[in-house]
Parts: sequence; C-alpha cells; structure tokens
Amino acid sequence: MALKKTDAKTQEKLRMDLLKTARSWQPRKRASLQTQENRDALLLITPLMILTVVFIFFPMGSNFVYSFTDWRGFGALNWIGFDNFWTMFRDERFWQSVKNTLILLLFIPLGVFIPLCLAALLRGGLKGWRFFRAVIYLPQVLGYVILGMIFNLFLRSNGPLNSLFEMAGLEAWALDWLNRPLLALLSLGTVYGVFLRIGFGTIYFLAAMGSVDEQLYEAARVDGAGWWTRFWHITLPSIRFNIEFLVVMSVIENVARAFSFIYTFSRGGPGYSTHTLEYSLYTLGFTNGRIGYASAWSVILFFICAVIAIMQIRLMRWNDE
Amino acid sequence: MNKSLKINTYLILILFAIASLYPLFHVFITSFKQVEEYIENRVFLPAQWVLDNYKVAIEQGHLLYYFRNNLILIPAAMLFYLFVCVTAGFAFGRLRFRLRLPLFLTTLFLMIFPQMLLSLQIFQICNHLYLTDTFLGVILVWTAYFAPFGTYIMATYFSSIPYEIIESARVDGASTWRILTQIATPMALPMLGFLSIIGFQSMWNELPFSLLLLQSMEKRTVTLGVAMVQGQYGIPDPMRAAGIMLASFIPILVFLFFQKYITKGAFAGSLKG
Repeated sequence: MALKKTDAKTQEKLRMDLLKTARSWQPRKRASLQTQENRDALLLITPLMILTVVFIFFPMGSNFVYSFTDWRGFGALNWIGFDNFWTMFRDERFWQSVKNTLILLLFIPLGVFIPLCLAALLRGGLKGWRFFRAVIYLPQVLGYVILGMIFNLFLRSNGPLNSLFEMAGLEAWALDWLNRPLLALLSLGTVYGVFLRIGFGTIYFLAAMGSVDEQLYEAARVDGAGWWTRFWHITLPSIRFNIEFLVVMSVIENVARAFSFIYTFSRGGPGYSTHTLEYSLYTLGFTNGRIGYASAWSVILFFICAVIAIMQIRLMRWNDE
Repeated sequence: MNKSLKINTYLILILFAIASLYPLFHVFITSFKQVEEYIENRVFLPAQWVLDNYKVAIEQGHLLYYFRNNLILIPAAMLFYLFVCVTAGFAFGRLRFRLRLPLFLTTLFLMIFPQMLLSLQIFQICNHLYLTDTFLGVILVWTAYFAPFGTYIMATYFSSIPYEIIESARVDGASTWRILTQIATPMALPMLGFLSIIGFQSMWNELPFSLLLLQSMEKRTVTLGVAMVQGQYGIPDPMRAAGIMLASFIPILVFLFFQKYITKGAFAGSLKG
C-alpha cells in the first residue's frame, strides 16, 4: 500500500520533471544549463562510482564467479558447476551458522524494547537526564573489537562476573559463559544483541520522541490522559517509523556487522557454536583457504543482505513521503 | 511526577548506568593491577596501582608503531572520505541529472553488505593492484566501504538547502564547483562535523579490512594490533586490559568532546531518507 503511494507520487514528480524539461527546450540558454548540470553531476559522482565499482561491485561479482570453482588461492580456476552449493547444503557447519544467525535475531525485540523504555524514562526530563544519556551511550564509542575484548575478559569462567556471583553466595550462577556451546551463543546474543543495542537505540528514540508535536501531549493532558495512555496512544504511533527502522538496523547489525565483535569475544567458538554466516566466511576463506567454497556461502549471504537492504530502502523512502 | 515514581525511575537509570560503565571500569582498574594480584583480587581496587602493564603493552605490544600508523592513516583516509561524500552527496542531493535516482538507490543498497562478504575478493584485487600491506590500499577500501553511508547523509542534508539559493547563484553565473565549495559546503559544516565523527569512529574501530590487508607488524592499526593480541594465549589479563585502555582512550576523548554532535547527528542520519 505504502509502495503504491510512493509510486503515484514518483510518477507525478516524473511527469512534472518531464514537463519542465520539455519547457526548458525552448529557451536555448536553459537547455545548455541543463546539460552542463548533467555533466557536472556525473563528474562529481565519479570518485564514488570508481571506488564502489572496484571495491564493492567487482568483489560481489567475483563471489558469484568463484562460487562455481574449487579455487584455494592459487593455480588455475577449475570449474565444478554447482558442486560447492550441494556440498554446502549438506554441510553441518552451514546449517549451524544459519541457526546461530537466526537465534541471534531472536534477541532483537528485547534490544529494541529496552531502549524504548529508557528513552521514555529519560524524556520525563528528570534532573541529570543528559548525564544518563551520555553514560548509557558511552560503550558504543569503543567499537566492536574493543567491546568484544572487554566482554571476553568480563565473562571468563574466572572473570569478575563470576567472582561477583561467588561473593554474593550465588555459586550456582557462576557458569562458564564462553566455553559451553549453547551458553556461549546466548551470551553473545545477550551482550551483542541486547546490551550493545541500548546505547544507540536510546539516543535515537530520545531524539525521535523530541520531534513529536508537543501540542498532542497538551491536548491529551487536557483530556486527562495519564502517562501510560499518552505513551501508548501518542508517543508510540508517532515514532512507529523509528521503531521499524531500528528493528531493521538491528537485523543488519546481527547479520552483517557481527564479525569484529565475535572475533575478539569468542573467536566463533567453542567449536562452531558462535559462528554466524558472516563469521564462517572468515573461517572458511582465510583460515581454511577454501575460497571457492566460501564464495558459495557468500552468494547465500549476498541474497539475504539484498533482501534486508531492499526492506531498508523501502522504509526510508516511505518515510520521505 | 510523584515521588515514588521518580525514585523508581532513578533506580532504573542508575542500574543501566552502572551496567554500561562497570565492564569498562573493571578493565580500567585491572590494567593497574600487578599480574599476581589479579589472580587473587579480581573485583576490588588494586592494592597497589602500578604502570607495569602499560609499559609492557607499549614496549612489547609495539603500540607506538600502531599509534603512529593511525596518525598517518586516519587523517589521510578521512580527508579522502569527506571529499568523496561531499561531492557525491551534493550531486545526489542538489543536482538534476540522468540516472540520478537509480544510482542513488544503488548507493543506498550498498550500505549494508558485510565487510567479510567483500574481503575475500578485495584481498585478491588488492593483490593484483599491489595494494596489500600499503596504507593506500586501506584508505581506498575504507573510503569505498564507508562512503555510501556518508554520501547518503550528505545527500539528505544538501537536499534540504532551498533550490532558490542554488538557482540564483547559477543565474549569477556561478559554476557548479563554485556553488559547491562556496555556498553549499559552508552551509553543511555542522553535518560535516557529524560525518567526521562517524567516519573517525568507523575507521578507528575497523577490523576486517585492516586484518586482511595490513599483514606486516609495522603497518598495523591500533585496533588491529590490540585484536591480534587477543588471539595469543598466555598473555595475562592485566596486560590485555592495559592494551584495551590504550586503544580506547582516544575514541572516549572524541566522544566526550563531541558528544553534542553525536547525539544530534545520530538522529539526523536516519530520520529522513
């Protein structure tokens, strides 16, 4: 439905543009300005185009080519048809990576809900809310590599978290967070999928709530609506787009941005238990050197990302209308 | 707001504040502990604050090399990145040309693909172009990867500049280049500030590309150098902690000084499309 609306408007715009262009044919000077603008624009986007063609499009294309070979980094390309794909679909590691990626996605609702609540609390305008906003955002600036190291240190079996549990007399809670397969994945989900979403999510929602029309709240207050009613009936509907946007962002972070964090947090281990699809590309391609086979995995990941990208673009353009 | 609600709110906020600061705080105090002390005392403040770990991290961890590399690499990459984002962003945001929409949508489309998806092949390409283990290679790859997002941000910003300003300058005979450098870019300075911070953070924290392209020790970045230490066994935790602190103090300083930009910009970047 939203798309149709967009289409109608785009068509309208196109028609207007066409009219403008048609009119501009008559005076000579305008027409030359138009071509000049065209040429300048193409010149200005050249740097970006060259870079993306060489370092993004070309690599993506090569992934497709290499996925039909058994290349290992040297020698001639040896075509093996769809063999890599058949091997992949029978490969336990592939299904484990898919499963791990899907399990990480289950943490998204919590990773969106908590920032939403925190933003709503901070919006109350309590004294010192700016301080809390800064503190809650702070971990975000460290980057995933460093954060992975910090939480690796923090969650080790002899690390501070378990020491705290022991001191509190909760020995039973002092688990080996990083070295048991399922537990390691759940730790990854909790830290990466929930905890590290809080910082950005909170300031993002806070800013979004700040742009909601204040008069709506005034009117509701006059009608005697309580805090909860206002939150539910004014705030939430007004920032619906932002919530959807953050969900898509979180999907991207989980599917396509987790490598750096996993690399220092758990190295994908124990075994394959914290390998996402993205992380497996590293293990297969660089640790095992099976570039052809890894390219077949890349092709699958490419299609997954393409679907997410299209969802995101649709969302952004819809909001634009 | 009534009193008990207020107290509860504060309690929740304080809880989250502690949760977000405590891991970093733990690393901070650990980095000042003697290695032997950390075995006994994991949680409390160090009995004796020592700088030994920092000394070892800097001397044996080659951190000075890495900082020097960042000092060369990041400013150069940033300048190039800003140039690419501003030129392309201006063209997409404020100029009318054929294929504008399809090309812009393609740029948006490129924003999300994971680094690992590209890096297997990027490594081959850089090998052919003699760019592996060079700063130039990393600068080009970083810019190519981060510029689509920057372009999108600049394009949305430039498109909010009224057409009339551009048109009147054009009627006065100003060239596109002059409009860009003397009218549009000065108007976009706040957004450039935000873009610089985003670019700085992404580059400072970048791992996959530098991991694959910068093979020799003398070329590594700070983040890469510290991440490599993570894989080695037998390094005591307090020394790791010192490495973490050294790698994070600059991003933290940047955050403290430019907090306003970040909180404002984070929103501007994703609100409009």
